[in-house]
Amino acid sequence: MSEAAIDSVSYLDNTGDDPAVRARLVVGDNDFHSVTEKVCGIVEQPRPPKMWWVAFAAASSLTLVLFACIGYLVTTGVGVWGLQVPVGWGYAIVNFVFWVGIGHAGTLISAILFLLRQRWRTSINRFAEAMTIFAVVCAGIFPGIHVGRIWFAYWLFPIPNQMSMWPNFRSPLLWDVFAVGTYATVSLLFWYMGMIPDLASIRDRAKTKLRFYIYGVLSLGWRSSNRHWHRFEFAYLLLAALATPLVLSVHSVVSFDFAVSIMPGWHTTIFPPYFVAGAIFSGFAMVVTLIIPTRKYFGLEEIITARHLENMSKIMLATGMMVGLAYSTEFFIAWYSGNTYEAFTFLNRAFGPYAWAYWTMVTCNVLVPQIFWARKLRNNTVVLWVASILINVGMWFERFVIVVSSLSRDYLPTSWGYYRPTAIDVLTFLGSFGLFFTLFLLFVRFLPMIGMAEVKGVMPQAHLDRPGHRGHGDYHGDIAGVEVV
Amino acid sequence: MPPMKSEDTTGPVYWRSLEELQRTPEFREAVKREFPNDAWDQLPPATRRQFLKVMGASLAMAGLTACRWPKEEIVPFAHRPEGRTPGVPERFATSMEMDGVALGMVVTSYDGRPIKAEGNELHPDSLGALSAIAQADVLQLYDPDRSRRLLLREGGQQYVKQWSDFEASAVEDFGGDGTGLAVLTERSSSPTRSLVRDRFLDTYPKASWHEYEPISRDNEREGTRLVFGRPLRVHPKLDAVGVVACFDADPLFDHPSSLRLAREFAGARHPESGAGARLYVAESSFSLTGVRADHRVAIASSRVPVVLARVAHLLVAEHHIELPAAAAGYAGEAGQTLSGEETRFAEHLASDLANFQGGGAILVGHQQQPAVHALAAVLNQVLGSTVEYTADPDPDRPTHLQAINDLVAAMRAGSVQTLLILGGNPVYNAPADLRFGELLGEVPVSIHLSLYDDETSQRCTWHLPRAHGLESWGDGRAWDGTWTTRQPLIAPLYDGRSALEVLALAAGMEHTTGYELVRDNLGGRFRVLDFDTVWRRALHNGVVGGFAWETVSPRLSPGRLAVAVDGLRALLDAAPPTSERLELVLTADSRVWDGRFANNGWLQEVPDALTKVTWDNALLISPGTARDLGIDDGEMVVIEAGEASIEAPAFVLPGQARGSVSLALGYGRTAAGQVGNDVGVNAYTLRTTAAPHVISGAKLRGTGRKYALATTQDHFAIDTLGFEERNLRVGTLVREASLDAYLANPEVFHEHEHHPPLISLWKDQAYEGEQWGMAIDLNTCIGCNACVVACQAENNIPVVGREQVLNQREMQWIRIDRYFKTEPGLRSDEIDDAEVVFQPMTCVQCENAPCEQVCPVAATQHTTDGLNAMVYNRCVGTRYCSNNCPFKVRRFNFFNYHKDLADTTMMQFNPEVTVRARGVMEKCTFCTQRIEAVRIGARNDNRPIADGEIVPACAQTCPTQAITFGNLNDPESKVSKLHEEKRSYATLAELNIRPRTQYLGRLKNRADGGGDVGHGAPHGEADGRGKETA
Repeated sequence: MSEAAIDSVSYLDNTGDDPAVRARLVVGDNDFHSVTEKVCGIVEQPRPPKMWWVAFAAASSLTLVLFACIGYLVTTGVGVWGLQVPVGWGYAIVNFVFWVGIGHAGTLISAILFLLRQRWRTSINRFAEAMTIFAVVCAGIFPGIHVGRIWFAYWLFPIPNQMSMWPNFRSPLLWDVFAVGTYATVSLLFWYMGMIPDLASIRDRAKTKLRFYIYGVLSLGWRSSNRHWHRFEFAYLLLAALATPLVLSVHSVVSFDFAVSIMPGWHTTIFPPYFVAGAIFSGFAMVVTLIIPTRKYFGLEEIITARHLENMSKIMLATGMMVGLAYSTEFFIAWYSGNTYEAFTFLNRAFGPYAWAYWTMVTCNVLVPQIFWARKLRNNTVVLWVASILINVGMWFERFVIVVSSLSRDYLPTSWGYYRPTAIDVLTFLGSFGLFFTLFLLFVRFLPMIGMAEVKGVMPQAHLDRPGHRGHGDYHGDIAGVEVV
Repeated sequence: MPPMKSEDTTGPVYWRSLEELQRTPEFREAVKREFPNDAWDQLPPATRRQFLKVMGASLAMAGLTACRWPKEEIVPFAHRPEGRTPGVPERFATSMEMDGVALGMVVTSYDGRPIKAEGNELHPDSLGALSAIAQADVLQLYDPDRSRRLLLREGGQQYVKQWSDFEASAVEDFGGDGTGLAVLTERSSSPTRSLVRDRFLDTYPKASWHEYEPISRDNEREGTRLVFGRPLRVHPKLDAVGVVACFDADPLFDHPSSLRLAREFAGARHPESGAGARLYVAESSFSLTGVRADHRVAIASSRVPVVLARVAHLLVAEHHIELPAAAAGYAGEAGQTLSGEETRFAEHLASDLANFQGGGAILVGHQQQPAVHALAAVLNQVLGSTVEYTADPDPDRPTHLQAINDLVAAMRAGSVQTLLILGGNPVYNAPADLRFGELLGEVPVSIHLSLYDDETSQRCTWHLPRAHGLESWGDGRAWDGTWTTRQPLIAPLYDGRSALEVLALAAGMEHTTGYELVRDNLGGRFRVLDFDTVWRRALHNGVVGGFAWETVSPRLSPGRLAVAVDGLRALLDAAPPTSERLELVLTADSRVWDGRFANNGWLQEVPDALTKVTWDNALLISPGTARDLGIDDGEMVVIEAGEASIEAPAFVLPGQARGSVSLALGYGRTAAGQVGNDVGVNAYTLRTTAAPHVISGAKLRGTGRKYALATTQDHFAIDTLGFEERNLRVGTLVREASLDAYLANPEVFHEHEHHPPLISLWKDQAYEGEQWGMAIDLNTCIGCNACVVACQAENNIPVVGREQVLNQREMQWIRIDRYFKTEPGLRSDEIDDAEVVFQPMTCVQCENAPCEQVCPVAATQHTTDGLNAMVYNRCVGTRYCSNNCPFKVRRFNFFNYHKDLADTTMMQFNPEVTVRARGVMEKCTFCTQRIEAVRIGARNDNRPIADGEIVPACAQTCPTQAITFGNLNDPESKVSKLHEEKRSYATLAELNIRPRTQYLGRLKNRADGGGDVGHGAPHGEADGRGKETA
């Protein structure tokens, strides 16, 4: 397989095809071997490319900043952040919700789209799942370090202790512990399990003893036998079914942190669906942000095609509008409920001291995705990439608006305040990106970033059971007008 | 550094060289070189920010050398001393003296450490209450910045000395007949000091004696001299249900008897017992009294004589009150034009004074000229007011300004060779035009006795460490003359001596210990065999009965009245201030007073009642004047008064008189200590002998630079949206109605309540024994901050510093919420005047507490007696509880605020209360330690807890007894009855949180019946319901 084989751009780009007919999911002159070569080739390069080193140096430096900030925090106190009374939660919780939200796309793609037999997901699901895990890792740091006595943070877990006490099961923070913990566990299992056949491929192609042993251990003795495949697919289906409710539950539970309180701007029943939609929105935006440079750099455009990007932009358009609907519903209810505190909170969001954050959020989350209505714009990877970053910015600000602006002006005007982040707040946040990218870069270097086994399953060569499934969602074998044997 | 050996020890003399033995000048030089500048001075200059750290640095010294305990405790308790149980607090009656008035207090001592001051119920000026300042005096005792040794400054060098060195040198300095000897001292009412002073002046007949206080009631004293021919002490009474008019006067706060006056004021404000007094206030800047006024008009201080003269005129012309012939000059038509507001105020007041005859009183503030006091005295006399008089205890004393003037004249003439300064800080607080500091440098020997090595000490040759009031024996007189004793609760921590002892030493008296002096002096007044019993009772009670002065019924002195009338005329002709020619009023600060408490962290961090500013003073300016001059809130402005000018941050305060700006004295200290140095700006630099209080013709210029004032509440000026919402909410949070409306319809406070039925999600807790509750009467709360400091002292609440307050991390568990009330519909840029309401806010111990439900580790729990308890050692600090608290009364330890405290400061801690760690949430517990103490006692006695037996610190010290605590399960308890009152309501009850603290609505008793300003949110339905009930 060589690049010369791709002789025309139109051959690559199948996004403009007749929508009535299913397009090919892997374009170009690819067969099973070429896919393996492309994906494993990245991992098997003896030295990573220069750009990887540059990126890794930057990301790992930021990670060091994160750990330095945490070290300072632990030794000094959470006062190093800009927190105060009334705004007792600031960047840490904003970042937590932001990262958990990012973590939604992976499981959605791998579980829900799997159950819905959206086979185009195969090219991106490994990638998205990895992103999920890393986002949850970043998310998990913040609730741990934001407490005042970090060394006792484990008291949130229902484990036997010298006080013979259970934690308070009425507290949404405790539900968070369970929800995020479960989500992280299932996502990790799902991701790892799905990777086993591909890890075995790398093992089988290993040229050094070390690689052979490491990937050999990781692939858990996978021999590609029929029985293995049978159990693998069954387990995959089960985990998908298990993960599906989690996609919806984890962010619903995170939203309870706010919805169950009595603060105006927090205490609202719309939060669970609104948070889930926002999470999917931001998750897809982050996948797009990462995948565009990656596929370009590693030459994976034939596997992660423009059509994939288009599909994701459509999802972002849809979820972006859901989020927009939620914003307007909140305003409507604030007025309709007749609750003056609620009404003030929302007016204050839009026109108060934090109006800048609110309008940043609305611009990025509601206005920016509207460009995806235009095919030209959504098929332009540069535009799409910039838009996805803006959506990430907007979604971070959404959490900022919810957490900070609601707290800053609650019931008694005498205890109103204005939260300003400190340098440590900002550096910790940036540091979490460092950690995320560090993990991500290690992932693309050492693990197969595309689920080869699954992608091969949706290639024409796989000869899927063509009859009886034509025109339905699970069949992607044909290219219009091209007869496959 | 080892101190130099004193030279007059008894026993054989040891010497190292002949030079030493002979004390040749060369040897003295060598010693000076060997002990150059004190290490104390070598400490790097520290900012306030580092104050906690530096206190830690001084820990070593405090721990090693300075930490002295009462002698009897040095011996281990192998055999417990009789009458002492370790761990059981003891309470001693003692007193503190400020500006020549002794205030009785009872100090709780734990194992020899005084930890908390409360009022002495037997003392007429306390009645059990204590002001914020007096309570914070305990912290001053433990201040690690207090001076620890004698210092001698000579030739630019500084030497550490011993008392024996001073005694030796004093023999030289105080020799002869006292020629060239002058004493400058604080005002003191101590009978023992009078005695010692007399002895001193007998010993040194040529010595001169001067008493100076920067803030005093001398103008009032001189006013009575004008009217009655001799100085009298004025005793206002506020308990009569009548009309009280205050002209720049703040009897509820800055009067020596303010605690008693506040109690009386509250007593006349219980509508349920038929009391409905009416208060008129005309003042230039909001005072606590002004906040409570039924009629208030903001007028420049220089307009006060004009308005008061108009009242006099109206009384004579329209209400046919007759002035005595000599005072007739007062009644002439002043010919001054009054603004509409001023006229209305004068007319209402004159009419009320005429009709309420027998119950009226006119009080004038200490910053007003004697002629104004004279007019008030005449009016009080003819109206038959409740004001009483006693003879001035020291009628021959010149005014403080005169006294320091005389001293400075003598210093300028070079006739002062030795100046003994007992207390005070004249270099800092003498009028600036006297240039006291410069002249002091020219006095050959100057000796300053002071708690701190302060501005004055640094200019003197000798600095002597002073014993704190809680370390020394003394006595004093209350405002009404009641004999008040002072006993030490601890041996001097830092080798200090009291002013009494130093004076006795200077006088060469054989008895120089405070104990002997005080006891002998009292003993001399009693011709009883068993004086010991009298003495013990005096110490036990803190007061000695039968010494209050007789009230006198003075008669007008016609000859002098003419002078007074002329004096007033001169004042009436002064042009009213304008934005270009402002009036600058220098006031005593509500926290650091004249600056003497500048190094007190509790006081620096208590928010000013009106501005809520901590750690700073600010130039108060009315919104209108600020608009005229184009000055923004928080802008640094240059104030020019006469030849002096300073820069200060402007604070826009509605209700400040137009054309009048105020600045508090007592800030901008340079040698106060780590806490107080460079806090705020020094207003004394603007103060002159000619205009010590009210300076006319001041100019203001904005600099465009902003300064962040650390306030604990929003400034008045915020964005329009927030401003409007705040105004909407005030009426429902702090409910207020006119007295008439309330009497006509007691439900008036509940008219605007409408919410769905409040049903709990959880099963209600049942209470078998007690369940605690609190009632706070907004009608009597005067916002004086006494509860804030009481709570801070009782509950080991840390001081966090200006930077932390700026980030809204203040730790006080109870706060006084201040709201401005303005006419509805006014935009924020149209407002000039406003009313102010206070609402003390602390944890209301919700029965259905939002904080309890969200804590993941169950660190905040409901107790079996209904408290919303905080389990500190279970808390991990998620801060979720604080977020979910609708009152935002929870406080979080963002840092370890106790880490670097000096050993001495830690001695103040209440051992009954946990010192909270970093990362832990804390809040009001209703003083659960006090509840438990009483409960244990009651259980031991096998009896129920009596109502009123448990008193939380805030309620205990409240001068107006606005806070009531008790058992809600007992329908007969006072708190239950108050909760049943029609005025009682719970703030934010519509959230279904069921607060255990309820507020009693505020009443306004205006002559025109108004007072429902801004009541409730503008809900159509609410209005409808109001009509139905009406």
